[in-house]
Amino acid sequence: MKYHRSLSLILATLIAAFSFAGAMPVHAGESGLPYATYNYDFREYIRFTPAAYIPDGIIRGERFTYGGESIGRFVTPQDISRSPFGDLYIADTGNNRIIVLDNTLENCINIIDSFVNEGVVDTFRQPHGVCVSQRGWIYIADSGNNRIVVLDQDGDLVKIVANPRSESLDENFVFIPLKVTVDYADRIYCTAQFMLEGLMVFDDSGEFSSFFGTINVTITTWEMFWVRISTREARQNQRLFIPTEFTGIDIDPGGFVYASNIDNTGEQGVRRLNPRGEDVMKKGENGNVGGDLWTLGLGELAGPSQFTDVVYRVNGIYSALDRRRGRIFTYDHEGNILYIFGGLGTQEGTFNLPVSIEYMNDKLMVLDAARAEIVTFRTTEYGRLINEAVSLRFDGNEAQAVSLWERVIELNEHNELANTGLGKAYLTAGDNEMAAKYLKLGMNREYYSIAFRRYRNEILREHANTGLTVAATLVVAFLVYKRIRKKRKAKDDDDGGFSVE
Amino acid sequence: MSKTSRFKTFRTMIGRFKKEEEYGKNLTPIDSDYYASSAFGAFRAAFKDKWSYMWYTVSHPMDGYYWIRHRSRGSVPLAIFMVVLFSFSFTANRLLASFVVNELDPRSVDSYYELLAVLFFFVLLCTSNWSVTCLMSGEGRFKDIIIAIGYATLPITIVLNVATVVSQVVADNEVALYFMLLVLGISYGAIMMLIGIMQVHNYTLGKTLITLFLTVLALLIIIFLIVLLFNMLSMVYHFFRSIYTELLFRT
Repeated sequence: MKYHRSLSLILATLIAAFSFAGAMPVHAGESGLPYATYNYDFREYIRFTPAAYIPDGIIRGERFTYGGESIGRFVTPQDISRSPFGDLYIADTGNNRIIVLDNTLENCINIIDSFVNEGVVDTFRQPHGVCVSQRGWIYIADSGNNRIVVLDQDGDLVKIVANPRSESLDENFVFIPLKVTVDYADRIYCTAQFMLEGLMVFDDSGEFSSFFGTINVTITTWEMFWVRISTREARQNQRLFIPTEFTGIDIDPGGFVYASNIDNTGEQGVRRLNPRGEDVMKKGENGNVGGDLWTLGLGELAGPSQFTDVVYRVNGIYSALDRRRGRIFTYDHEGNILYIFGGLGTQEGTFNLPVSIEYMNDKLMVLDAARAEIVTFRTTEYGRLINEAVSLRFDGNEAQAVSLWERVIELNEHNELANTGLGKAYLTAGDNEMAAKYLKLGMNREYYSIAFRRYRNEILREHANTGLTVAATLVVAFLVYKRIRKKRKAKDDDDGGFSVE
Repeated sequence: MSKTSRFKTFRTMIGRFKKEEEYGKNLTPIDSDYYASSAFGAFRAAFKDKWSYMWYTVSHPMDGYYWIRHRSRGSVPLAIFMVVLFSFSFTANRLLASFVVNELDPRSVDSYYELLAVLFFFVLLCTSNWSVTCLMSGEGRFKDIIIAIGYATLPITIVLNVATVVSQVVADNEVALYFMLLVLGISYGAIMMLIGIMQVHNYTLGKTLITLFLTVLALLIIIFLIVLLFNMLSMVYHFFRSIYTELLFRT
């Protein structure tokens, strides 16, 4: 029976390995969802889990009216952004306007399609990104007009950021801002098209100040070797070693910038940049925040995940959106994957061309540019428990998370975070045996080692009396036996046993 | 027959060899009268002798290997058995060493394939060493090389098993103890193998090291030839097979 089970396990992993992209619908069918929810375990095998998020309706432009008129459908929208006041801003790129939905997502409360610039009515052209600062100013990446427009709460122009000039910029550099975000000090961070040096930062007066979070190109020794030995002609035909572009940005309350980028090695698709522009991302057990760990296979679904946007949620949790396979990866502040779900397709809950992700009212929202709609997801019990438990740990209240983790294990006993969480709680409580058990299930060697040592010493201390008594008795018995034997032998020899020559 | 007289017989038996004192000290010689009463008794006597001599070799490699070459005191079946035992101990260590020191996926461990791999590597090593030392005036026969390498796995086997047991109780910062055990055992095995090859071929240490380097080269060449051979064979096979299918379709 055991053999049988391990065989089927191996078979299952093999099947998953060879057709991981195709294997999803099989599992998806069981839950009635168009996608599977899974996670990677310690050994980087795929573990299917209960759904963490389920589809919660689709938001289309046709649904809304503004000023008594229907606002019509969105056309290739490129960005959604939650304002600090709870509204949702949509960059309706193809319609050259910004749409504002209220907190319930039921009503359209504003449409920004023009503003007064030096006494003349000015409009947008292909606005790709939108963002609202803490003081309520609206920052719009007006890509077609090569500028970032800053409006105040009432829609009046504050400033226009355009035509950045600097020594580090090319003479004929054309500024095409795409995604934009702003920190508490009104510094603007933006991604720009063809800009490989990193994020562009503008100070509060709108002056270009510096590049930010530049991704260094890493060249392996092997590649270096080939470049070294190839001729000039050959070198010209080789691919260039250029850094990757940032694709999406978000900012956390502490002023750390979360930026997604496309990493062809699949190791790090999200960066957490401190105010100096250095990456301070924690990458978890397997040193990876690059999305899927299994990226083998053939076809357009194979290859490392391509993160197109990232959203900082709460308590160190962030979600990244993969456009290659339409999946959403959620990590905690330590870089552990919490759950992975989503997929490409035509059903509700899947995407065609996902471009932007946002988190609001405990719901995840994904903007699909091709279908011009926002797909929303709400948490299940499983997802909610994990979110809450991880939040408690982020705040340092690990002991309070015990009941949550226990329920998570009831729903999914393979959840290593839950097992580790329980193990650590038991360790703090002093129950070393249970701690060792759960930490082993959670595959946390470091803490298991500690728990095991304490448990072992406990046993040793408990049985020290018995053990020492037994040992002493044995030693005495051995000595006595030896003496008796010696005596008997001497007696035998006297009686004439084997004679010595 | 008394103990002393047995020892005397034994001494006269090897009396003309220089190293007799050390050699004779710890060994019980064969008492043919006593043991040879049945076939099984003879076998047991031979086995007992070889077995105790193997332990003697482990504790006195210089001396032990010398007499393995010059007095045939070693046993090829025992050496192969030791290699098999080593393979199983290796697998057991990978499978059973505690979680504190071992993060291997148990699903990736397969004793059958590991046994095959170890035996294959063993044969390969012996063959390549033999083919090199043949040309470099080594005195060892093939069976001596097998014994030299086979016996040298014994300390590693012991240490692997001890370490597996020790791993069950170590934790935290005592893990270093486990790895120290392994390193000690493996180094002792490596030194034994070095001495074995040196003594069996009657080489100096420098020459042994040179031949070992050449052995590695020979090993690679043999692997290359094997791959080449299999490639060629499959090509020949496919050639005839395509002729066969061609004929099948034409007629």
